[in-house]
Amino acid sequence: MIAPMLSVRNLRAAYGPVQVLFDVDFDVAPGSVTTLIGANGAGKTTIMKSVAGLMMPIGGAILFEGRDITRAPSHDRVNSGLSLIPEGRLVFPGMTVEQNLRLGAIAPAARSGHSEMLADVFRRFPRLEERRSQHAGLMSGGEQQMLALGRGLMARPRLILMDEPTLGLAPVMVKQVFETIRELRASGFTILLAEQNARVALELADQAYLLENGRVALSGPGAELLDSHDVRRAYLGM
Amino acid sequence: MDTLLSGQLLFAALVSGSLYALVALGLNLVYGTLRLLNIAHGDLVMIGAYTAFWMFSLFAVPPLVSLVLAAALCALLGWAVYAGLFRRMLAKPDLAKRVEANSLILFYGISVILQNLTALAFSSTSRGYQYLDTVITWQGISMTGNRLLSLGVAATICFGTLLFLRFHLFGWGLRAVIERREAAQVVGVNLNRVQLLTICGGFAVAGMAGVLVSMTEQITPFMGFPFTIVAFVVIIIGGLGNIGAGILAGFCLGLVETFGIALTSPGYRSILIYGLFVGVLMVRPEGIFTKAVRS
Repeated sequence: MIAPMLSVRNLRAAYGPVQVLFDVDFDVAPGSVTTLIGANGAGKTTIMKSVAGLMMPIGGAILFEGRDITRAPSHDRVNSGLSLIPEGRLVFPGMTVEQNLRLGAIAPAARSGHSEMLADVFRRFPRLEERRSQHAGLMSGGEQQMLALGRGLMARPRLILMDEPTLGLAPVMVKQVFETIRELRASGFTILLAEQNARVALELADQAYLLENGRVALSGPGAELLDSHDVRRAYLGM
Repeated sequence: MDTLLSGQLLFAALVSGSLYALVALGLNLVYGTLRLLNIAHGDLVMIGAYTAFWMFSLFAVPPLVSLVLAAALCALLGWAVYAGLFRRMLAKPDLAKRVEANSLILFYGISVILQNLTALAFSSTSRGYQYLDTVITWQGISMTGNRLLSLGVAATICFGTLLFLRFHLFGWGLRAVIERREAAQVVGVNLNRVQLLTICGGFAVAGMAGVLVSMTEQITPFMGFPFTIVAFVVIIIGGLGNIGAGILAGFCLGLVETFGIALTSPGYRSILIYGLFVGVLMVRPEGIFTKAVRS
C-alpha cells in the first residue's frame, strides 16, 4: 500500500466548551479524490480548518507527507504544499482578479514560478483572464469560486482542500466545478473535498467518509457508499 | 482674497497636512492589521519629540539623526506591547472577539502611564529648541527651514509607505491582512509576522512625527492627546484601515484647517475640524475616499 499523503488521527476539535469533532480518522492517498460528506454541522468545515491550520485541534494528529503539522502555523502549511479553497470563497473583494491571484503565490515556495502558474490558471479559467482587472467583489458567485480555486492553485499545492465549493452556486456552475475537480485530478493534484452535494461527490470520489455529529460513521470507496442503504436513504433521498 | 491665492497659505496647509497624514498613517496601519484602537498613539509622538529634544540639547544631535533613534525606540515599544499584551489576546478566540473594545481601555492605561512617567522624569515644564529657524524666501513665500524639512520628511515617509505597500511583497501581505484576515492566512501570509512588524512600524512612524513636531512646537508630557484626536479624525474621514485614503485625508484636513482659519479666525479651528468630521460621518460614514466595492 502507498503511504497516504495526508493522515488524520483521532482528531478532536472544539469551539469553546462545545466539542464538535470526536476522534476523527481518515487518510488521503496521493493522486486521489477523497470526499467528506455529511449534513450541515457534521464537522466538515472544522476538519478543513484544522487541516489548513486556521484552528487548533484540542487533540489528535495531522500528518502531511509524513510530517506532523498538527501545531504548524497556516503559512507554513501553505508553503509545504497544502492549499485551502475556503468555504464562502473568501476572495479579497477590494482587489482585482490579478491581484488576488498574485497573492495566492505569496508563499516563498510559490514565488519563483508565479508567472507560469498565472498562465496555467488563465488557461484553465479563461473567464479570469477576461476579468483580470476587475474587482473581485463585483463578480458573481461562480466567478468568485473560480477565482478562489485559481488563487489556491497559485500556491503550487500538492494537496488541495476544497470546502463546499458548490455552496450557493447555480446548477450549471456546480457542474463546472465538478468538471474542474476531474481535470485537476487528471493533472496530478490530490484533492480532499468536503461537499453537501453527496451524489456527485460520491460519484467522483476514490475514497469517501460519511460524517455524522463529528464522527466518521461510514467509510469506503465512493461507489460503495453510493450503493449503501443508509447513505441512499439519508443523503440521496432514495 | 489675495492672501488666499498666495503660496504662503498653501505652504502652511501642506506642512500641517503632511504631519496629520503622518501621525494618522501609524494609527491606521495598527488599526487596519490588528484592529487595535491605539489611544496612546499621540503619546508616541510625545516620546519622539522628547527624544529629539534631549538628543539636540545634550549631545547636539540634529533631528534628522534623532528620526532614526525615535523610530527605533518607538518600534521597541511596539514590540513590547505586542509580545507582552496582544499576542496572547489575539490567539484566544473569545478574547480576540473583544480585542477592539479591550484595546481602547488597555491603550488608555498605557497612555496615562507614559504621560506620567515622562512628567516624573522630565517635569511638566514645556521645552523647546531652535533648529533651522532662519527664514528662507522663495517666490514670495517665506518659509523656515525646519518647516520645509518637516514637510519634506513627512511627505517622503507617507509616499514611501504607499509605494512599499504597492510594490513590495510584504506590503501585499499587509494589505491582504487589512482586507480579509482569514483569507490572508489561507493564501499563506505569516499573520504573526505581519502584525508584529506593522505595530512596530506604526509606532515608529508616530515617533518620527514627534521628532518633526519638536522642531516647531513646545514639548510637554501631555502634548500627545491632541495628536491622537487629530489622527482619529483623519482616519475616520479617509476610511478606517484604508492607508492611501488616510494620507489624502490628512492633507485635506490641513487644507481645510489653514484656509478655513484664514477665511474666519483662529477661534474657529475646532469648529472647522470637527465640523468636517461630523459632516463626513453624516454623509459618508464609511469614509470619503473609500471605494464602494467593499463587500
